[in-house]
Amino acid sequence: MANAKEMKEVLFGPVFANNPIALQVLGICSALAVTSSLKNALIMSIALTLVCAFSSLFISMIRNHIPSSVRIIVQMTIIASLVIVVDQTLQAFVYATAKELSVFVGLIITNCIVMGRAEAYAMKTPPLMSFLDGIGNGLGYSVVLLTVAFIRELGGSGTLFGIEILPLISEGGWYQPMGLLILPPSSFFIIGFFIWVLRTYKKDQVEAKA
Amino acid sequence: MSSNNETIGKTLGVVVGLCLVCAVVVSLASVQLRPLQQANKTQDVQRNILAAAGIDSSADVFKTFNENIEARVVDMKTGEFVETDPNSFDFESTKFDAKRSVKLEKAQDKAGVQRMTTESPVYFSKDASGQVDTIILPIQGYGLWGIMYGFLALDADTKTVKAINFYKHNETPGLGGEIQNPRWTSMFEGKKLPLDIVKGTAGNNEHKVDGLSGATLTSVGVDNTVDFWTGDKAFGPFLANVRKGALN
Repeated sequence: MANAKEMKEVLFGPVFANNPIALQVLGICSALAVTSSLKNALIMSIALTLVCAFSSLFISMIRNHIPSSVRIIVQMTIIASLVIVVDQTLQAFVYATAKELSVFVGLIITNCIVMGRAEAYAMKTPPLMSFLDGIGNGLGYSVVLLTVAFIRELGGSGTLFGIEILPLISEGGWYQPMGLLILPPSSFFIIGFFIWVLRTYKKDQVEAKA
Repeated sequence: MSSNNETIGKTLGVVVGLCLVCAVVVSLASVQLRPLQQANKTQDVQRNILAAAGIDSSADVFKTFNENIEARVVDMKTGEFVETDPNSFDFESTKFDAKRSVKLEKAQDKAGVQRMTTESPVYFSKDASGQVDTIILPIQGYGLWGIMYGFLALDADTKTVKAINFYKHNETPGLGGEIQNPRWTSMFEGKKLPLDIVKGTAGNNEHKVDGLSGATLTSVGVDNTVDFWTGDKAFGPFLANVRKGALN
């Protein structure tokens, strides 16, 4: 059985050392779309972490009974069911945010992080470790998402969690918002910088030159 | 162990079993949460009606709504009140009900909605003496990316705009999405019908409102939406009846 050190590594490794977005470059699509405000990014992060953790757990629990010919479909079914449950729950309890996230919650189904961890890790690892791996990767995703959302919301709308930080010119203040940051492409630049900074500190993440 | 996983029997068994379990989980979540979701949707619409009427709804939306707003349903053609229950009215489903909606010809369809319901709810708020002082009309129209849903609040004279707001749209955030910005919608206050949304500054002209910069098509959409819903094809007959005193 896994010891505490190994568990810690599985849980926190993906946050910086093996970040799913920055190093594995998975799940970029939703990172672009839902990061224009911190609140949306936070809810999306929680939703993805939950789906990733529980799908890994359930897949790992039945991993010895999944026929390899249909394994991807079996994984998809479990992930899709969890995503629907999460989506319904969001619509019931945080309606306004669910309305803004709209299609992106549903798109967690095809999020490469969830599928990637299910196929690469949960299929051959016992349930507890898989569950931690799911949470760890969810956290790694969340760190990037929240960082990007922080920069985009502050620069693009002058607010954080909807609370005014930089008073906008249009509201009688002094800050001219940066329109680019409101639009999805800005996430590309921010994620690019994130990866750059990360790899400056962790040189081992730089790919060898061909 | 993995070798006997690959038989057809086992594969079928696993797949069917998994589907059953997942189906039960998904249906349970859906059925259990539906009342809450429905309540959220209704509340969202009610909050926007209250906002159009200029009533603060930060406390209890449901209670404030019931105390301040009267809902009725009108027939679009005659402009008369009918007995349909306004609380059960759902635009999205009614719009595609062949018996309760009509297809609009291209030439008439200024708002780009393609179909419209033959009946529509309208909302009233009253002043202290019990007189109707605001008429709130649900409006829908095509912007740049999709249909914008909102409310238009008119004074009891049916000519003066009191407020406009949109609760559901797909316009670009930061550009067309500014139709939700109170700084823009407040410019409609006190303007007279027919409205015209113009480029540049509208100044004090009581029929003109500044368009949104960077969102010309959205502005045109709002302009057409207001024209259409206050026109003959939509609430025109009802507003004419109101001017003749249908509310008293």
